[in-house]
Amino acid sequence: MASVETQAVTAARPVHSRRSSTRLWPRLLRQPAALVSGFVLIAIFVIGAIEPQITPTSASRIHLGSQFIDNPPAFSLSWHILGTDGIGRLVLVRTLEGLHTSEQSALAATLIATLIGVAIGGFSGYRGGSADAMLMRFADMLGIFPALLLLLAAYTYFTPVTVPKASLILACYLWIPVARVVRAEITTLRDREFVQAARSLGASDRRIFFRHLLPNASATIIIAATTLLGQVIMIEALIEFFGLGVPAEITPTLGNLIGDGQRNVLALAWGWWTWAGPAVLLVIILVCANLLGDGVADALRPQRQR
Amino acid sequence: MALLGRRILPAPGRTDMMPGMGGFLLRRVAFGLLVLFVGLSGCFLFFASKYPPLYYEPLGHAYWVWLRGLPSGHSLNDGLLAGHQLSAVGSAFGRTLLLLVVTLVIVLLISVPLACLSAANRGSPFDFLVRCLSYAVWAVPVFLAATIGQEGLGRVPGGWGLPWFPYVGWAGDCPNGQGIDEHNFQCPSGGHGLNHVGLVLDHLALPAMVLALGFIGLQARYLRSALLDALDAPYVTVARAKGLPERVVVLRHAVRNALATFVPALVSDFGLIFGAALAIDFIFQLGGIGSLFINSLKLNAEGFVPIDSYALVFALLLAGGLMVIVSILGEVALWMLDPRTRPD
Repeated sequence: MASVETQAVTAARPVHSRRSSTRLWPRLLRQPAALVSGFVLIAIFVIGAIEPQITPTSASRIHLGSQFIDNPPAFSLSWHILGTDGIGRLVLVRTLEGLHTSEQSALAATLIATLIGVAIGGFSGYRGGSADAMLMRFADMLGIFPALLLLLAAYTYFTPVTVPKASLILACYLWIPVARVVRAEITTLRDREFVQAARSLGASDRRIFFRHLLPNASATIIIAATTLLGQVIMIEALIEFFGLGVPAEITPTLGNLIGDGQRNVLALAWGWWTWAGPAVLLVIILVCANLLGDGVADALRPQRQR
Repeated sequence: MALLGRRILPAPGRTDMMPGMGGFLLRRVAFGLLVLFVGLSGCFLFFASKYPPLYYEPLGHAYWVWLRGLPSGHSLNDGLLAGHQLSAVGSAFGRTLLLLVVTLVIVLLISVPLACLSAANRGSPFDFLVRCLSYAVWAVPVFLAATIGQEGLGRVPGGWGLPWFPYVGWAGDCPNGQGIDEHNFQCPSGGHGLNHVGLVLDHLALPAMVLALGFIGLQARYLRSALLDALDAPYVTVARAKGLPERVVVLRHAVRNALATFVPALVSDFGLIFGAALAIDFIFQLGGIGSLFINSLKLNAEGFVPIDSYALVFALLLAGGLMVIVSILGEVALWMLDPRTRPD
């Protein structure tokens, strides 16, 4: 009988962030692919973040004398290594500028979408009842329209699209998967013993939610957010590729650089390097983001591991 | 596979598969229609306030006009494209549907054997290779795969690749893509009868393969994971203990049960496949929903013709309707595959 009591008391103790992090790291260390891709991703994002400091200020200047036909990639350690584009701008510098914008909007959109998803999913799962049903039906309703059509429509509605606007539009659609998994997790956690114990000790709803439910759902939230990052980058690049997002002349992103390069030159045949740089970088980022997402999911949910 | 087919379909004379199916279907269809109607109303209200033909009207009145025109089809057909819209959108819908069907066939034909082989040889170099490849192809954005496939395998004038497939367009359509000299170009004939079918498949082959590429890896990974769960289950041990050959154990016992996990995953990914199909459709100029939709938006973004909210809502209706139908089909399949999921 004594054991039941201790069990209840231990179980009622909230999960502290320190404890969960000491559990996360050893598990993540056993996922070499995820670890490596995580570091590559961080390295790429850091380079993208400090891009304005490292690229030469004259790089975006147009040089009509040095058009792309005469300037293929040259194997020298200079900014000319990836050649120049149709109006003589350095492709490497343009790619880094695109990375700077793309990572800003992707990270912002992922963060906002996760926050919205946790708020709505958490509220819905904790409250249950008609509020839950209505919120989830709303999510279903948004979910039946293909993301591309709805996002393209929203993009045209809010023209001219700027980077913050684009992040908000993406976040307003992509919170749905986060909300679904958070809701499912909170719904199962809500009825567990440690929550009942906390409630019987007189804890308020707010305390139960923030001190007991959210920390225990943190694995689910982290998995959802890392998975979402890859999707956000992919969808954003797709919309930018069609030239419907932010214009490449003003704000280069990886997607619109690829799209622009392919529209301006005869795609692969001549001047392939004007878009191959951003394309390769985009693929590397996506590979890393997907591997990281899967690795984190495997690390945090051991039963899923193979 | 013959064995597999016999196990999935209900045996003749066994009617216990279907009780309650009618009511279930009716409820699902009614709910789907309701969700579609509410969603489309929301979209219409959103877009009608900014785009023609009703943006000058007060919103309530605009909505009433749209609602009143729904039963007769005026609300779908009366926009700026008056009259042409229904036929144009109808054929676009057919083309997108055909692209999706061909793609799904390719995905299933390749990913199911791949998943079976890698699950049966867990941890082997083959398994590892399939996993690596599936990650690699999944990370290539669909527009990139499409343009590279187009340049590498399409018949593009002055191209460097293997000229195996048509570059853009649908059988009988006049292509107007990059690099085509419009003055010296004769529109190809669409052919008749079987010839037409062949030409259509010829034009569809490359887009469908490019679209299938990423999803083959993804679906193979899902099915492999579901198969591994099934192969660890007690009934597989029993089947092996009975002395059944491994082929029968995997195909008849494991796959049959893994499908109950795999089908919902495939259905929930249908939205992704559909979205990618819209992009492919635009890049290859197949004249499906994607081309229709993006072309009309494109003009708006350039500032030529403002978009028509009627056309927009119609495109969303077609896309949403297809998604609802697929999700119902998925639930029916799950109903047949896994008795445990049936509501009492």
